[in-house]
Amino acid sequence: MDESGASPDAALVRLLLQNDVSAFEKLYDKYSRIVYSLVLRIVQQSGPAEEVVQDVFLQLWRNSARYDASRGPFVPWLLTLARNRALDTLRLKSERQRRLENQTDELYSVVVAPQYEKDLDEKRRAERVRSLVGELNPQQKRAIELAYFQGLSHSEIAAQLKEPLGTVKSWIRNGLIRLREGLQATT
Amino acid sequence: MYEAYALGTLDASERAALDAHLATGCAECAKAVAEARWLVSQLAYTAPDAGPSDMLKGRLMQRVRSEVRSASPERSATPGIPDWLSAGIAALLLITFYSAWTAYRAKEVLRASNERVAALTQEQRDAARQEVAAMEEQLVAVRRENAILTDPSAVKIMLMPQKIQAPELVAMCGKRGVVLTGQKVPMPSANHVLQLWFIPKTPGAKPMPSMSLRPDSSGRLLMVVAHPPDGVGEIKALAITEEPEGGSPQPTSAIRWMGAMS
Repeated sequence: MDESGASPDAALVRLLLQNDVSAFEKLYDKYSRIVYSLVLRIVQQSGPAEEVVQDVFLQLWRNSARYDASRGPFVPWLLTLARNRALDTLRLKSERQRRLENQTDELYSVVVAPQYEKDLDEKRRAERVRSLVGELNPQQKRAIELAYFQGLSHSEIAAQLKEPLGTVKSWIRNGLIRLREGLQATT
Repeated sequence: MYEAYALGTLDASERAALDAHLATGCAECAKAVAEARWLVSQLAYTAPDAGPSDMLKGRLMQRVRSEVRSASPERSATPGIPDWLSAGIAALLLITFYSAWTAYRAKEVLRASNERVAALTQEQRDAARQEVAAMEEQLVAVRRENAILTDPSAVKIMLMPQKIQAPELVAMCGKRGVVLTGQKVPMPSANHVLQLWFIPKTPGAKPMPSMSLRPDSSGRLLMVVAHPPDGVGEIKALAITEEPEGGSPQPTSAIRWMGAMS
């Protein structure tokens, strides 16, 4: 926390408003790896993945005022933005359509950490989440991956896995409940 | 349901139903969705670890430095002040200046008209009196606008565009009325107007219709609502929709802008 009580990330984002390039570089160095990992997993090709990552960080640079630290932590907000951009690329959405939606859905998305969440470094956070998702049964894990990394709807997942819609909904719901409970238990 | 919404797995109709509910301002569901977004965002950590090339960082930093050098108009030139706040201040300064200028002009025209009336025939006097009456009406409107803007109890509300590409609108809302303004506002479709709605705090209560108009040819929008609903304190949000000419008793289209009373 800085003198004003803001998190270090929020303090860096605030400096972007003053065109502070070094603050931007610090945020890039800190989070470009997880953002790239996520985007590459979605778009599957390094070239387009780098384009999306560049786009995400330029959005951050140009629209940092849209991030309101009082409404949630920075990294989940950035990851939500990155996932949406990567899925847009996957779905070949037009640039115009993306611009329209970015102005509203993504930049204004509020992401709130639940009460049980505590600050963890990125490495420990990754280990914890991977371990918990690894403990899900294979169907739950597969359905959640199709939803998160491919952006498929319940119906699309049901069609792809050739399983009843209700079953797929249950897998995803129960899987996420188990993940949430696991995160609660380990914090 | 909230996790499925954040994950994006809901089908279109389910998503639309929850979107509509969230648009009513349900704080409990908004919080649940925001927490679900956090949970879903954690799934990013299951992606295999990989790093971008050094060239990407080089390109990005070069781009950012060049934007700083050229002082891109996309960024606020005022350090520490968010873009939306700068836009809000600019809009309020503009309407305050506009109001003062209009009041000055109206007074001048009024004085000149009175002088002309003294030297005219009866018929000409009647026509001139009508002109004076119109001017007096305009002056009253401007004074009302100034009264709302200078009311210390009035609160400023930013109305954010909802799934449209448009600038934010700024409203000053108080017991004396509401002044709403915007610049470069997209024109509604033919035979349609932008209509203001007051969203009551009472759960399930219907939005209350207010005035409707179109922006001028330069995209400037100025609405002055002299008689807001009784008990402005019972209003939780302002919203704008596009409605057929003449306005509607209830919204018939999606919300274009919305801003909560804080």
